[in-house]
Amino acid sequence: MKRIQWIASAALSAYACHLVVLHATLRPVTPIDHALPLLALAVTALAAVSYPAVMLAVPLLMVSEFAIADEATRLFAFGVVVAAAFAVTVVKDEAGQRWLRPLVVTVVALVVLRWIPLADVMIGRELVLVAVALAIVVILGGGPIAVAVAVAAALATPAIPLRTLALPLLVLFVAFLARVFGLPRLRLAIPTAAILGFMMLFFAWSGVTARALPWFLRVAEKKPAQRTVVQRALTPGEAVRFDVPPAARALIISGGNIAHLSRGALLGRIEPGGLELRIGNVADWGYTRREHYYGTRNPLPSDPAGRLQGYGYGAWVGGAGRLALPDGAHSIVVTADAALPAGSTLQVEGFE
Amino acid sequence: MTPVWIVVLAVIGLLALPAVMLRGRTLWAYAGADALTWLLGIIVWARVPGLNPWLGGVAVAVVKLATFALFVARGSDVRWSANRAALVAAIVYTIAIPMMTRMPIDGDEPFYLLLTESVVRDVDVDLANQYRSLDQTASGRTDLVPQLGDPTGPQGEQFSRHEPFLALLMVPGYLLGGLAGAVATIALFGVLLVRSTILWMEDEGVSDTAARATFALFAFAPPVLFYATRIWPEVPAAFFFVEALRGVRAGRTKKWLPMLLGLVLLKLRFLLVAIGLLATLLWQRHRSGELRSRETRRLVLAAALLAVPMVIMYLISGDATSVHTWRELLPGPFDRYAIGFFGILADGMSGIAFQAPFYLLGLFAITRWSGTPQGFRLGILASLPYLIYLLPRHEWFGGWAPPLRYLVFLMPVLALGAAAMWERFSRGAIAVISLATAGLVVHGVAFPWRKFHIANGENAVGAWLSALHHTDYSRLFPSFIRINNIAWFGAAVVVLIIVFGLRRYRIDLAIPVAALLLAIAFAAGQRPGARIEFEDTHVEHRGGELFPELYRVFRVAYRGGWLVHGGDSMSFLAGPGLWRLHAVTGLGATIQIGERAYEIQPAEGYQEIPVVIENGGRVTLTCLSGALNLDRMDRQKAGRQ
Repeated sequence: MKRIQWIASAALSAYACHLVVLHATLRPVTPIDHALPLLALAVTALAAVSYPAVMLAVPLLMVSEFAIADEATRLFAFGVVVAAAFAVTVVKDEAGQRWLRPLVVTVVALVVLRWIPLADVMIGRELVLVAVALAIVVILGGGPIAVAVAVAAALATPAIPLRTLALPLLVLFVAFLARVFGLPRLRLAIPTAAILGFMMLFFAWSGVTARALPWFLRVAEKKPAQRTVVQRALTPGEAVRFDVPPAARALIISGGNIAHLSRGALLGRIEPGGLELRIGNVADWGYTRREHYYGTRNPLPSDPAGRLQGYGYGAWVGGAGRLALPDGAHSIVVTADAALPAGSTLQVEGFE
Repeated sequence: MTPVWIVVLAVIGLLALPAVMLRGRTLWAYAGADALTWLLGIIVWARVPGLNPWLGGVAVAVVKLATFALFVARGSDVRWSANRAALVAAIVYTIAIPMMTRMPIDGDEPFYLLLTESVVRDVDVDLANQYRSLDQTASGRTDLVPQLGDPTGPQGEQFSRHEPFLALLMVPGYLLGGLAGAVATIALFGVLLVRSTILWMEDEGVSDTAARATFALFAFAPPVLFYATRIWPEVPAAFFFVEALRGVRAGRTKKWLPMLLGLVLLKLRFLLVAIGLLATLLWQRHRSGELRSRETRRLVLAAALLAVPMVIMYLISGDATSVHTWRELLPGPFDRYAIGFFGILADGMSGIAFQAPFYLLGLFAITRWSGTPQGFRLGILASLPYLIYLLPRHEWFGGWAPPLRYLVFLMPVLALGAAAMWERFSRGAIAVISLATAGLVVHGVAFPWRKFHIANGENAVGAWLSALHHTDYSRLFPSFIRINNIAWFGAAVVVLIIVFGLRRYRIDLAIPVAALLLAIAFAAGQRPGARIEFEDTHVEHRGGELFPELYRVFRVAYRGGWLVHGGDSMSFLAGPGLWRLHAVTGLGATIQIGERAYEIQPAEGYQEIPVVIENGGRVTLTCLSGALNLDRMDRQKAGRQ
């Protein structure tokens, strides 16, 4: 009887979400909105292994869908609802469901974090990843913290190129060794709820969580500053003078083909003031893209000015950094360092 | 109190709550959940800069309160007693008062305060000098004028239509803290009400589990929360009613008689409740053969005592019934009873289903009459004469006041019914009701002024969605104030939900079914309706004005509409076909709808003008010349001329 209840719940919830998305015609519908029925199924699975009241996440997702017009706020609201559902699920006492719940939560978490948009999923690699994650959960004893470790390891794995799957395998191996050497089965439900909840909070941009986590630890700008677009790429050794637009306070700058440079590497200079541009306050424009992330050594710029692009695990953030302009300067000269590798560029994106 | 101090008070209060009731593992588990909700609040604040900070803060506070309530309901180590429940209520009401009084007090509230000020300053109930020196009133309302029908004296005295008992009760509080002290007095009654209701549940054999589960849904939910933190007689009345019922059940005349007297002193309309209680008692004793001469004497004495409030009103205003007449007790037309009854049940703006859904569970208890506690049955039967008197009134919804004003006194009885039936309810239905209740609390606390409604047939959610999507969502909420197409269907659905939708089944699909209904409603709302009410939010007005104006007394008696003059226009979604425009013009007017123009002749009454909309979609109505009061436009069914 319980199975019938959950199957019917899943079907009704998914159809309800589908209806809402179908009629949300007054604004652009993102891949995350389109995935609302999938989220309903995910939530139903969580409810089935924890509290039935977790199903309340379904109407909350729907209300967010049709009541919040601003895209970023709406997707974040989805994240809050989904995160709460996961947090509540992992803190439940384990009576009677020692294995089923952690395994279900792990699979559902990976689907939500990595399988949206569905069209981008490399099914073979994802299934391997799910298998490795489940193995980590089993090796660590199935406690809530095991779920957090498995999901975090999978999230951090781009799976492009294939060899990056070594990361979760390494975690699996370390977990195995830890257990062999006497690590007890840990529960740590509340910290797990916090970790898993944080990952799910930004599931709509899980790629950014995986590859540029500090982006989400900043206070968001209250009102994005107006940007004057320049879009000028400087080759090594090239110097260009730019007129500073009235009221501009900062220069937005990124690099091209510099992802392999480490923190502190010199990229160029700004005159007047002799301001040095280095990896750390500027990064490669596309270093957080999934397919380019392997091998990158850039950190997120100290004052990141890149824009969020894409959705789900394919989401990434531009590597542009924001640098304060010299006081009172009406024009500046930006010089790309002559020692930059061939083929790399310094990109003046604009002024703010 | 400044917003910063309100936040400080809220944080301290919310941190103190678990210390009152939770212990051991439950306390630690709550501490973890509490930490997570604080963390979530901080992240939301950091990542959603466009969020209204006040709304966000209130939402976080309500989430934390709901979390606490959940732990109280389900925790394994909870120190539960009526006194602790009252202490928790005291903390929550202390936090809520400054939130709810961010706007000037409204409705009858400033008049009660004026009466208190008159008692304190002049030791009389003549408000003439108070109206002359409104700059001295603590309410800050310098725009007050005597209410319509307020009694006057031969020497130019200006009395209030309101009974003076509440004003007298607020005197100590007012002397101690002015307006805040007066509101605190009402909150104190709220605390006493919570304590009495929990004790009553114990008296009636309700389990601790059920009492703990219903506690927050009763004490921190509409309407009790909203009336316990503002100046209305409803919460003190609820306290007196519960204590009277407890006294009767315990057979303690010395207790219930003064409580009943207090109830009637608060509001003369509660005389009907008192009469109902005495009549029920008489009938019950007669049926059981327990009616003795001593008992009869007591009931006669009680009846005689209940005349005291009328004597007081006679001495003040020269009329024992104040602004009321005995004719109001005569039965009204049947349709008025139906409108009042189903309105109280299902009206989007003022009905139980949409404004205090927890009490649907209490209504469910009525359908299982024989299984309910005796106290519940006594309370319901006692209130029948009052309800029968209330239903046919034009202002059954409570007028310019937060929703369900006239039923607040009955809420502890319904809460008792809900608690007694707790194990029979669908867990999914309880979850949906709890979620809706939390939403209502967030809305009501964040925007206290929105609880006062101009009674135009829309409700806050419908108006908000209409404004957001520029389509008519208000029509999806039943309205018995301005009866709409979905009113009777909606009422039938609510009745079905009460009878069949709340009970526990082996397969509990309450939440997914609610989600599906929500989706269907959302989809339906995107399509044009069969009626356009021109004053509604979904209509985009370019010029013209609301009719009647916003604060017209007894606004509900008018056909609402939108006044347009030459050059004014409006647009709305409408389907193609033949429509009938309901409008009135004394000057005559020429209007254009779509591509067609219509000349409307002057007439004394409302006219129905057939109009054609050729292409559906967004339609513009322009007043080309003259002036016109546009009421509504109804789509003609196929075949009708």
